[in-house]
Amino acid sequence: MMMDTLHTLIVETLPFALPLFIMAIGGIYSERSGVTNLAVEGLQGFGAFMGAFAAVLVVKKFMFFAPDSQMPMYIALLFAFLGGMLFATIHSVLCVKFKANQVISGVVINILATALTGFLTSQLNESIFGAASSQFKLIPSARFSVPLLSQIPILGAFFTNVYPFEVIIIVVALSAWYVLYKTPFGMHLRACGDNPHAVDAAGVDVGRVRFLAVMLSGGLSGLGGICFAYSLSVQFSPSIYMGYGYLAIAALIFGNWQILPTLGSCLIFGFARAAGYNLPLIYDMPVAFKDLFMILPYVVTLLLLVFFSKSNRAPRALGEIYDKGKR
Amino acid sequence: MANPEYIVEMRHITKRFPGIVANDDISLGIKKGEIFALLGENGAGKSTLMSMLFGMYEPDEGEIWVRGRKEVISSPNHATRLNIGMVHQHFKLVSNYTIAENIILGIEPKKMAGLFPVVDIKGTNEKVAALSKQYGLEVDPTAKIENVNVSTQQRVEILKMLYRKAEILIFDEPTAVLTPQEIDFLLQIIRGLRDQGKTIILITHKLEEIKQVADRCAILNRGKLIDVLDVAATSTQTMANLMVGREVDFVVEKSPAHFGPEVLKVEHLTVKNSDGFPVVKDISFSIRAGEIFAIAGVSGNGQTEIADAVTGLLPAAEGSITLDGADITRSSIRERSDLGISAYRSGEEAGLSYIPEDRQAVGLVLDFTLADNLALKNYYKPPFCEKGILNHAAFDSYGEKLIQEYDVRSGQGIHTITRSMSGGNQQKAIIAREIELSSKLMIFVQPTRGLDIGAIENIHRQILAERDKGRAILLISLELDEIMGLADTIGVIFSGEMQKIAPAETLTTNEVGQFMMGVKQA
Repeated sequence: MMMDTLHTLIVETLPFALPLFIMAIGGIYSERSGVTNLAVEGLQGFGAFMGAFAAVLVVKKFMFFAPDSQMPMYIALLFAFLGGMLFATIHSVLCVKFKANQVISGVVINILATALTGFLTSQLNESIFGAASSQFKLIPSARFSVPLLSQIPILGAFFTNVYPFEVIIIVVALSAWYVLYKTPFGMHLRACGDNPHAVDAAGVDVGRVRFLAVMLSGGLSGLGGICFAYSLSVQFSPSIYMGYGYLAIAALIFGNWQILPTLGSCLIFGFARAAGYNLPLIYDMPVAFKDLFMILPYVVTLLLLVFFSKSNRAPRALGEIYDKGKR
Repeated sequence: MANPEYIVEMRHITKRFPGIVANDDISLGIKKGEIFALLGENGAGKSTLMSMLFGMYEPDEGEIWVRGRKEVISSPNHATRLNIGMVHQHFKLVSNYTIAENIILGIEPKKMAGLFPVVDIKGTNEKVAALSKQYGLEVDPTAKIENVNVSTQQRVEILKMLYRKAEILIFDEPTAVLTPQEIDFLLQIIRGLRDQGKTIILITHKLEEIKQVADRCAILNRGKLIDVLDVAATSTQTMANLMVGREVDFVVEKSPAHFGPEVLKVEHLTVKNSDGFPVVKDISFSIRAGEIFAIAGVSGNGQTEIADAVTGLLPAAEGSITLDGADITRSSIRERSDLGISAYRSGEEAGLSYIPEDRQAVGLVLDFTLADNLALKNYYKPPFCEKGILNHAAFDSYGEKLIQEYDVRSGQGIHTITRSMSGGNQQKAIIAREIELSSKLMIFVQPTRGLDIGAIENIHRQILAERDKGRAILLISLELDEIMGLADTIGVIFSGEMQKIAPAETLTTNEVGQFMMGVKQA
C-alpha cells in the first residue's frame, strides 16, 4: 500500500513539476538579466490561450487532423511559446525601452492577461466557431510508459504515464541551461543582472540583452502554461490563472536563481501538490479534507521561505533600471 | 597635418555641460611610450578630457588625432579598436564572475564541446595567467571578483585593457582607493607597462605620484590647460601652485591657542566591536574650548571607534562621556547633536558636529539633493519644519546661503543630486552643514581623505578658524603631517590604548611615529 501510494505520487508529481520548472526557467532568464518578472502568471496564461486557440483552430476550422490526432498538441506548444513571447514584449518594451517600474508592469500584465484572454476566448468562440463558450476544449494528450524502465521499482514511476510534453520540457530546459551558462549570450545575460555597467563597458548592448531575455522568459512561461492546460484540465479557460505563475517565481527564488536547484524546488512543490491531491482520495477522506490538503504547496512555500531566505542571493542589479549616466 | 612626435593629439578641445565649461580650448600631445600625467583639482576637467579620448563623450569643438590620423571616437568600442583602454575610478566588473570571465566579457572566445559551441573558459584562464605574468600583475584567473580586494580588481581592469591589445592606457585616479603599499605596487606596474612600450595617461591630483612615475605633466585648472611641464625639471611646489592657481602653503599659519573651559570629557572609555572584542581600552582625555585635540595612530587602532562612541554611533561598553557638563554616555544620537535644542532656538550653541570618515556612506544621502543634505541635521526644526510640514522654501534659501558661503560647486546648484558631485565638493557640503550647526564640539575624522591639496589647505584653514572661534575640536587623522600641523594637543593611540597625551609643541614627528608603532612607551 505504502509503495503504491509513493508510486502514484511520483507519477503525478512530474506533470505538475515540469511545467512549473519551465516557467521558473523563464523567470530565471528575465531576472538573471536584471528585470524583475512578476508577469509569469499572465505570460503563462496568455501563452496557454494562444496555444489552445491555435490547436482548436486547426482542428475545428481547418479540419487538418483526425479527431484523435496528437499533432494539434505540438502546434499548441509551439504557439504557446510564440504567444508568451509576444505578450512578454509588453514587459520588455515597458521595462527596457521606457524604463517603467518593473513590479507595476508585471502586475498590470497579469491583470491584463486575465481580462484579455477571458474576453477573447468568448468572442473567438462565438465569431469563429459559432458556439458561446468561455473555454477552448483540447484533445486529451496521450500518455506513455517507457518499456523496461517503467518496471524498475519506485524509480520506474518517473517513466510511467509520461506526457509527451514532459520530454519536450526536458529538452527545452537542457537547451536553456546550455544557452544560459555556456554561450556568450548567456554570459552577457547573467552579467547584465549583476553589473550592467560592466556589460556596457564591454561593448554589449544591455537593452538588447534584457529585451531578448524577457521575451524568452515569456516564451518559456507560455510553454509552461499550455502544458498545464493539457495536464490539469484539458482545456483553456480562465481557471488557468490558479497562481502557479507565482509559485514558479517562488520556486526560482528558492532555487537561488539557478536552474538545477530550481528543478529541485519544483519537484518539491510538485510532490506536495500530488500528495495534496491524491492522499485524500487514496485514504478515502471526507471532501472537506481535500481542500485542506490542496493548500500543501503553499504551506511548503512558507516553510521554505523561512529556511531559504538567509542563504539566498538575488542578482545584484535585479529590478534596477539601467541608466548609463549613473555611477 | 599630424605631428609625428605624438601618438595622441588633442586640438582645441572644448566640452560644455549644462552650467559649466568642463574643457575650454585644450590642446596637447602625448608621445608614444611616455607616462603622461594630467594634474588638476577635483572638477578641473581631467576626467572629462580623457573620457572624450575614450569615446564616452564627443567634444563640442576640436579634433582628436590618434597615430597621425584624425578620428571621431564615437564609443568606447571604437576607442578599443584604436587600442585605447581606460581604467575608470569606479570599476566595471561583474562580481559573481571569475576574473577570466570578466576579462573576456564581450569578446568571448569559442570552442566546440562535441556538437555545440561553448565559451572557452579553460583556454582563457591560461591566456590570462600568461598575460598576468608578463606584466607582473599577480592575479588568479579563476578567483571570483567578489572574493578579491580592490587592488586586485584594479589589476583585472588593467588586464582587461591588455587583453584587448590596448597600447594607450588611461588611468583615472587609480590610487584613490588603494593603501600606500598597494600604491607602490601599482606605480611599479605602471612603470613596467611603459618599459614594455605602452603609452600611459595618468589622471591624478597627487603630486608625489606624478613626481615618482610621470615623464611629463599637463596641469588643468577650471577647464583650462595651464601648462605642460617636464616633471623632472619642475618642483612639487611649482606644480601645486599652478594646479590651484595661487600660492599654496603646505604649512598653514596657526595663531596661538586660547583655551577656554572644558567641553568634552571622556573617562575610562571602553568600546567593543561587533564580535564583543574591546577595540578601545580604558581611554580618558578631555578637550577644552579653543583646543584642537588630535588623535594620531595607524589605521584600525581604535580611533574611529572613539569618534563613533562620542557621536553615539557605537555604544560605550564602559566609562563615561560628558559634553558641556552633561553626561551623554547613554544619550541618543539626536540628543547629542542637539544638546540644548532649546538653546538652538535662542541662537545659542548646540551639541556636537561630526564630519565622518566615510562621507558617502555616513555623511550624505547620496540620492538626495544638495539642499536636502545641507539641512539633514535641522530638517525637523523650524523654519525647515513647521507643525510637522516641511517648508521647501526654507531648505532652498538655507542651501543657497551655504553653497555661497562655503563655495560648494556643483552642476545644478542646490538641486544637484549629491551622488553626481565630486568628492571634494561633497566634503565641502558636509563641512558647511556641520559648521553651521555652531556646535561646541566638532569631530573631524579623516577630513581631507582623497582630496586635492587646494581643498586640503582650505579645510585646514576652516578647522583652525573654528578653533579660534572657541570650539573644541577632536581631529582624527592618519596623516601625521596634518596632525603635526594643526593639533594643540596630541593623543597617540596604539592597539586601542592611549600611549601618550601631550601638548603638540613638546612632541616631534619622529616621537609620535614611534608611539604610533607601539615602539616607545610613555
